[in-house]
Amino acid sequence: MTPVSRRAFIRNTGGASIALWLGVSYDSYGGKTPDASLAKNFTPYILVESNGNITIYNTKPEMGQGTFQSIPALIAEEFEVSLDQVIIKQSNGEKELGNAQRAGGSSSIRNNYTDLRKIGASAREVFITAASTKWGVDVASCYAENGKVIHKQSNRKLAYADLLEEASKLELPKEPKLKDPKDFKILGKRIKRPDVALKTNGKAEFGIDAQVPGMLYASVERCPVIGGTLKSFDAGEALKIPGVEKVVETEKIMGRHHSVGVAVIANSYWTALQARKKLKIEWDTKGFETFNSVDFENRLRELAKEEGIIDKNTGAIETLNLPKENIVDAFYETPMAAHHTLEPMNCIAQVKGDQVEIWTSTQVPSSVTGNGANDLHKQIGFSPDNIKLHAKFIGGGLGRRLYIDFIIEAVNIAKQTDKPVKVIWSREDTTEFGPFRPMTFSQLKGGFSDDGKLVAFEHKVISPSYQESMRTDFDKTKVDKTMVEGIGEQAYEIPNIKTSFVRADFHIPVAAWRSVTSSTISFPHECFIDELAYKAKKDPMDFRMELLSKPSDTKRVLQKLREVSSWDKPLPKNKGRGVAQWEFFAGLCAQAVEVTYNEDRSIKVDKVYAVIDLGEVVSPDNVKNQVEGAIVMALGAAIKPGITFDKGVTMQHNFYDNPLIRINEVPEIEVHILAEGGKVKGVGEPGLPPFAPALANAIFAATGKRIRKMPFDIKSV
Amino acid sequence: MITLNVNQKSYKVDVDPNMPLLWVIRDVIGLTGTKYGCGVAQCGACVVHLDGEAVRSCVTKVSRAEGKKIVTIEGLSQHNDHPLQRAWQEIDVPQCGYCHSGQLMSAAVLLRENPNPTDKDIDAAMAGNICRCGTYLRIRKAIHLAAEMQRKGK
Amino acid sequence: MKQHSAMKPTNFPLKTITVMAIILSVIGIMTTAFKARVSPGGNPESSKMKRDSLASVQAFMDVYKVLMSPRCMNCHPAGEAPLQGDDSHIHIMNVQRGKDGTGLYSAKCSNCHQPTNVPGEHTPPGNPKWQLPPGDMKMVFQGKTARQLAMQIMDYNQNGHKNKEQLLEHAHDTLVKAAWNMGEGRTPPPLTHEEFVAAWNKWIETGGYAPAE
Repeated sequence: MTPVSRRAFIRNTGGASIALWLGVSYDSYGGKTPDASLAKNFTPYILVESNGNITIYNTKPEMGQGTFQSIPALIAEEFEVSLDQVIIKQSNGEKELGNAQRAGGSSSIRNNYTDLRKIGASAREVFITAASTKWGVDVASCYAENGKVIHKQSNRKLAYADLLEEASKLELPKEPKLKDPKDFKILGKRIKRPDVALKTNGKAEFGIDAQVPGMLYASVERCPVIGGTLKSFDAGEALKIPGVEKVVETEKIMGRHHSVGVAVIANSYWTALQARKKLKIEWDTKGFETFNSVDFENRLRELAKEEGIIDKNTGAIETLNLPKENIVDAFYETPMAAHHTLEPMNCIAQVKGDQVEIWTSTQVPSSVTGNGANDLHKQIGFSPDNIKLHAKFIGGGLGRRLYIDFIIEAVNIAKQTDKPVKVIWSREDTTEFGPFRPMTFSQLKGGFSDDGKLVAFEHKVISPSYQESMRTDFDKTKVDKTMVEGIGEQAYEIPNIKTSFVRADFHIPVAAWRSVTSSTISFPHECFIDELAYKAKKDPMDFRMELLSKPSDTKRVLQKLREVSSWDKPLPKNKGRGVAQWEFFAGLCAQAVEVTYNEDRSIKVDKVYAVIDLGEVVSPDNVKNQVEGAIVMALGAAIKPGITFDKGVTMQHNFYDNPLIRINEVPEIEVHILAEGGKVKGVGEPGLPPFAPALANAIFAATGKRIRKMPFDIKSV
Repeated sequence: MITLNVNQKSYKVDVDPNMPLLWVIRDVIGLTGTKYGCGVAQCGACVVHLDGEAVRSCVTKVSRAEGKKIVTIEGLSQHNDHPLQRAWQEIDVPQCGYCHSGQLMSAAVLLRENPNPTDKDIDAAMAGNICRCGTYLRIRKAIHLAAEMQRKGK
Repeated sequence: MKQHSAMKPTNFPLKTITVMAIILSVIGIMTTAFKARVSPGGNPESSKMKRDSLASVQAFMDVYKVLMSPRCMNCHPAGEAPLQGDDSHIHIMNVQRGKDGTGLYSAKCSNCHQPTNVPGEHTPPGNPKWQLPPGDMKMVFQGKTARQLAMQIMDYNQNGHKNKEQLLEHAHDTLVKAAWNMGEGRTPPPLTHEEFVAAWNKWIETGGYAPAE
């Protein structure tokens, strides 16, 4: 993040009212923006108005992860205002707020914890200085509380709103003094989330809820065979349906994937949907129509025999020459998955001359309005200055809304009419056209020395490439680091480690899915650690702890998990307990799962204990909610069918054939937070990767059956 | 013209009688609290009350609703203070929030018919509502809390 | 009440024939029931019956094929949850029968199952009367042998308190007929409705015999 601007800005907002804007000033073009233009266009983190309103802007779109509270909380804590007394507004990709208006990678808090506090602290110091000047007293004799500055000795008080004139003459301090955490009133406390009340009476506005006067609706027919192209279409029958205005072609772009669909524009979504069924379209599916998952998975198994490209090679694994009986190997497989955000993809676009206005749910406002090489303006041929975004609450992001393909498609439709158009993807569209989480297959090998120490560990990942799918400039001779994410970075002390990657050509768009490749790759990795523990005839927790002799976050987390899960307390015979941990870019979490093996061979998941390591915690209850949710999502990915293809077509369409976890399937979950200082880690994703391996390891403990393929059926083990 | 009674207000709508009630409520009447999730009665995001029953408006033709009392999430209470709404707020149940209009409308029927539901009753009533964020444990807890509030007349 | 020998089927002497040429105990009860339920001035219905055990049992085997098809059996489950699909898996969403068979709380059948089918595949099939048998009269088909099912249907106390006339009429019930109009993508019962009605009538009219185990 760029440093806090040293200027506080003042502006007449009309009439007698004035407003003071405080915050980071960015220039979207990298240079210094003149103050005058800022005064016109500047969107602040904090806005204090003379009528007493205090507004704090949230630059990280709210998709359920809690940024609508946690981002303002960091500022409000230091600014000495309560969250009840501020208006929170979602930023809309305003260029002056920089290109970090993105929510992804569990980064919102871990990347901004200190910087946002500094913004609040700077603003606080400005008002304290303003008051002390006005009163003619020493700055040190004043403090701020509840949006007011107070003079200790005289107990005089002035609200921030009454100090605007004075404050506007001051510069924001560069290095403000941050509060002592023991004085925190918001951070680390249980504060009710401000968006919740909006979500209990239908008032929260998601992208799909936005209404623009004169708006039309569109539904798009896309080639069911992914990769297919449009040959021709006949809209005659569709156009006969009353309410249908137009049928147009529209291009969608996602990474290196381009496709053209046929959009029906009508006066209601229902009409558009009905008319869409009447379209007669000829697609060219040559080369794609025979693709199927069975053959592709076989291909991956074949590719496993290749050396692959080395990602990491520490020690000298090639020279060990361990005896065969000291070596364990295993092959693991995981499926593709759809995001299934409950809010289907949607976007309203309006094109007026060279201006574009967009209303949508997106994780990346900055990619919509930014001037980057892959940003929207490049794909639609408009100036980034002429793109205006209204960013709404997101009905589930999960990685899907990191991509702007659906926005590009909507703009391309809107270009062909003079009215705003709301494009809604049906649930089937949302499921069938991806992008999908890619499958990863893993070849694992572990070797022990003669005295029983784990001395060698190899993990080869065989999969399609995320980077190849989403970039146009991917170098195929290099490892796609996304696909081997985390596996070379676990804290286990193993002297010889080799990780490698074999890339499979793939024409289906693949993408980030909550916790990205860690969502699949933790499963083979942490199950295989269990296999090695079994080979070493050691308790899986003991085995891991022995690989963690030095102090590390992972060690602390596992120690805590051992304690809270009563790991060392024996379970009845038909029950089993499993453990897994995962550290990756987003953070660190470990889980212990308890299962019961029933007489009918089914598995009941009884309880999950989770320990998440954060360094610092903003909203503990929200962290628990996030981890609970990540576990539920991981449970679904572990035991419910994934995405498959036949004849080039996605075989799953809706929740009836790609089911999600329901309330009657959820185990008890107990979440523990470690916030002991140190590196600030993420919240949204780390709860996900450890679950599937911990479950499979628990099933092994209960049944003696080793599961090496996700998804697995727990109704019959 | 079809006359609909939504949240005690009368609306005259000129739509195809086969149009699902969901789209009439959202796009014609403009009450967007009721959500589209799947279109085939799988997820429960679209639940509204039709003469007190938790119907799925995505598969309910608008013609079925004529002459009946429709209540949407906007009409569940006057001041966002139905015991379930208060319990949802107390426990901070939602994450993204998209499914919760439907969750609340389903739970309201449960609580009306069974003021003291067990976990099993909650499973029976609520398994038709998908929450992709996985807030199920909190939904369960909030329903118990709302039941308690209702019993104590709070 | 007259004691039929068939009240104790195990004592029945003609075990060598393939079809039990016997009015089963339940039928005895049923015919008694029919008699008991004849409206004043009406004729005892049993007098109209042309008893033919072989033809009756043959007709029932056709009836049985239909009743055990997913379109009928799915709503006559052994447990408390309805079944779904051509593979008769347990209905998703943890749907429960409820006391009166119309579901529970916010998961009542008619919340999804409309008066008519919803267009398209994988949409809820519809009927104004959509429900399961009630909790106090579950009329289970799932897992029943032909003999068990025939006896159950003929048992006034297990068949929804239907006399013969009501049973005959039941084949024309709109919910029964819905089995042949269950929306796109669902395999209909193995007989047409007309064939089913013919078999059903024949089975009942020839004595409502149950096949041997």
